[in-house]
Amino acid sequence: MRRGWPFYAQLGLTVLLCLFIVVPIVMSALAGVTVNVFKGLSSGLTLRWIFEVWDLYAQSILLSLWLAVACLVVTTLAGVPLAYVLVRRPNRLTRMFEEILTLPVAIPGLALALALLITYGGFGSFRSSWVFILIGHVLFTMPFMVRSVAAVMSAMDMKTLEEGAASLGAGFWHRFLHVIVPNAMPGILAGALMVVTLSIGEFNLTWMLHTPLTKTLPVGLADSYASMRLEIGSAYTLIFFVLIMPLLIAMQMLANPGKKRRAASQPAEDE
Amino acid sequence: MNATAMAQPGSQTVQTEKPGGTRIELAGCTKTFPDGTRALLPFDLTINGGETLVLLGPSGCGKTTILRLIAGLEFPDAGGKITFGADDVTSQSIEKRRVGMVFQSYALFPNMTVAENVAYGLKVQKVERRERDERGRAMLEMMHIDMLADRRIDQLSGGQRQRVALARAIALRPRVLLLDEPLTALDAKLRVTLRTEINSLLRKLGITAIYVTHDQEEAMALGDRIVVMQKGAIAQIGTPREIYRAPRSPFVADFVGAGNRLDGRIEQNSLVLGDIKIGLDQIGHAVAGGPNGHHDGNAGQGVADVYFRADGLAICTPDQGQMRGRVEAISYLGEKSRLTVSGIGESVITLDVDPDFQIAIGDDIHCRFNPERLTVFSRYPDARDAAQTM
Amino acid sequence: MALQNLGEGRSRPSFSRYFGMSRSAMASPATFMALMAPGVAIVAAFFLIPLVLVAMEVTNGPDGWATYLVILTNARYFESLVQTLLMSAGVTVVALILCGIVGMFLVRNRFSGRSVLIGLLTLPLSFPGTVVGFMVIMLAGRQGAVGSISNALIGEKTVFAYEIAGLFIGYLYFSIPRVILAVMASAEKLDPQLEEAARSLGAPRWRVVRDVILPGLMPGLVSSGAICFATAMGAFGTAFTLATDIDVLPMVIYTEFTRNANIAVAAALSIALGLITWLCLSAVRFLVGEKADLAARGGA
Repeated sequence: MRRGWPFYAQLGLTVLLCLFIVVPIVMSALAGVTVNVFKGLSSGLTLRWIFEVWDLYAQSILLSLWLAVACLVVTTLAGVPLAYVLVRRPNRLTRMFEEILTLPVAIPGLALALALLITYGGFGSFRSSWVFILIGHVLFTMPFMVRSVAAVMSAMDMKTLEEGAASLGAGFWHRFLHVIVPNAMPGILAGALMVVTLSIGEFNLTWMLHTPLTKTLPVGLADSYASMRLEIGSAYTLIFFVLIMPLLIAMQMLANPGKKRRAASQPAEDE
Repeated sequence: MNATAMAQPGSQTVQTEKPGGTRIELAGCTKTFPDGTRALLPFDLTINGGETLVLLGPSGCGKTTILRLIAGLEFPDAGGKITFGADDVTSQSIEKRRVGMVFQSYALFPNMTVAENVAYGLKVQKVERRERDERGRAMLEMMHIDMLADRRIDQLSGGQRQRVALARAIALRPRVLLLDEPLTALDAKLRVTLRTEINSLLRKLGITAIYVTHDQEEAMALGDRIVVMQKGAIAQIGTPREIYRAPRSPFVADFVGAGNRLDGRIEQNSLVLGDIKIGLDQIGHAVAGGPNGHHDGNAGQGVADVYFRADGLAICTPDQGQMRGRVEAISYLGEKSRLTVSGIGESVITLDVDPDFQIAIGDDIHCRFNPERLTVFSRYPDARDAAQTM
Repeated sequence: MALQNLGEGRSRPSFSRYFGMSRSAMASPATFMALMAPGVAIVAAFFLIPLVLVAMEVTNGPDGWATYLVILTNARYFESLVQTLLMSAGVTVVALILCGIVGMFLVRNRFSGRSVLIGLLTLPLSFPGTVVGFMVIMLAGRQGAVGSISNALIGEKTVFAYEIAGLFIGYLYFSIPRVILAVMASAEKLDPQLEEAARSLGAPRWRVVRDVILPGLMPGLVSSGAICFATAMGAFGTAFTLATDIDVLPMVIYTEFTRNANIAVAAALSIALGLITWLCLSAVRFLVGEKADLAARGGA
């Protein structure tokens, strides 16, 4: 294959961009396990900073994980039936509701938090509980779950499935739980992945809503960066990467299942 | 053993060269793709100036690959050579080759009007605006679409788009016109109309044209010569008449629409079908199979494929008949009636008769062969005979 | 089962009458409402009502109803708006150009390591803004990579993490993954036969790009540009972590609310900001369809 200079120039730009993205990630990961960041790798590797981070911020890491799971449960329980209604009864009312549902994604997290604080800031115990933050996460992530499930459902021809099940005597809830939901599982799984990833990484909203007792992982990260201790910040970021990378990779794999197959069939001319 | 253009009997006697057209030669060309697939086995091909050559074959046979080699979108493997007239264009890419190309999906630019599409090539060549507009308009008039000049592409029908694509390709007065299944996307009736238009356009312009299709009717209607391809190799080159009447292998016979097929044997110098014996010298076209399945020369001994069309059998009275069959189905096709007859050979055969012929399902029918209209391929010579003919 | 029978008005299921009647397979309106109830309750209680309260809160401000327009009337807020608009627009343009070239390149060329590069480029998709800020510090801070390289080359450490250039780099960092995915999706839909047709008419590479490729990519470029712009406008974490001098609108809202307890103004500014981002994303949906806006959001 002829590969002229335009190819290599573009490849160079691509690699440069990749380096731009990756170098700081690698640097921070290394800084998190290096004994003396200023001396560099020659000073040796250590897990000391990671342990220190755990001492300081274990609470926030666990809270983030807990929130992600809780968010998943709430969005699934509320979102799957919602998706069903939106697909099964596409009238003006449901379409308008879908618009409203998606608004929290279009509006900056800051503004959402502000709205919640103005409304519920006065309810002391509610305001300082983790449920308050959960609400914010649910508002932001539910549209993704609903869209993901609705996409699978609308490709599914639910009407025929339901009619088939009904003709065999199944009542509504039976159909819903044993026919609709299992068939919508790919959408639910993709949505679940998305919800968990978004929840763990959510910052703008959570920062406004948090209290010293309800710190999540990203909030803790911001704290550690402000503390000016590079090793702690780096180690904490490393923990964040370790948590989120598998999720991102899983999402990428979900999005490109046929890539290898397609690439292999590309050059073969068919005529 | 490959059939080459030069070694083909018959095609050299046909006058297909016209004055003014560019002669194209491909010598020793092969094509292997980066992943290792051999798309084209080694071949030579000469296209006479002004001729319309049709590349015919099923999907995957390599016909579009040859077209793309001639276009300059792909390059032959090392050692291959392509010339346009006196110019060696082997290493020239498509931008420089001055070819006109018409694609299956038309490939009209959606962001330009019809007139802008047609004039695009002229614009690239930096032709002056006035001349550009004039030539563009002349093109549109020639294709009878001048009233569409300012329309956007998505407002056009399939037939209109095809005409625009043709106008755009010809506007630059290319040395050769390359058409990649241009009518496949259209419905049957439109296809026939456009086919006739394209045919007369090509004759009028006297331009060398290469036309790729998998439709044998199109190939027959348009081609001065047809190249039948199979799995990356040329199976036969010839005029439509030669291909139709004297196919050189069962593949070509099947592809061009062979009609019916029966199993027979060749013993001594006769074709034997059950009780019927027909002297080989009476048969219209008999071809022998070589050890690798290619056919040339005369039929040897052994198992044979017998092909015949509707005119290969004549209906007659019981005492004159060689065979007897039973009518299983009758399809009235307007111009003729198509009978499906069982009892002759292993599977059913189809037979066309005059539409007013009185016959009903379940009737017996007697017929005899018309040996002149039979095509016989002997498949595998007996081992002894292979030794004899070697 | 009982609920359904109630809705259908039957006392017991009758299979032969169900068969072939599409109405019987539909759940009753009551069931539909029950299905929607949890979602509607959440959205109503925690989104709609708060929105209304925010709108009302604005009028508690010093100027009353005029507070809605404070973003335009107050010099400081207006300047912040302009700065944010310029920053977002600048990042969008740069991201589109860079990702346009790289995205097309990745779609059109197959080579070993290609999927690795794509995976790497899309990693930051779910990084919170604060992590992006930290990445900028890693690149351009006092111990940053750029500083070390410039030190080796010219003997002086270039540190720009805490200036406007640093903020710009940060915004670029979270914009590139989004825009590249959108550009690649758009590029894959291009018809290569159009380019071959242009080439067959003699067009050199640059003409093919200008006359065929760019017009073909334009819808994808516009919609990903709008998403990039909206995300940049609403980004908070990056600016917060870098604590630069430049006051982007989200930062102004934050300080007005938390430090100055200027709730009415914060509310007004939030509404203005929310309106801008919502308009951008609605324009995208209008142009391209339902999935584009959600697909590229998330994070930042």
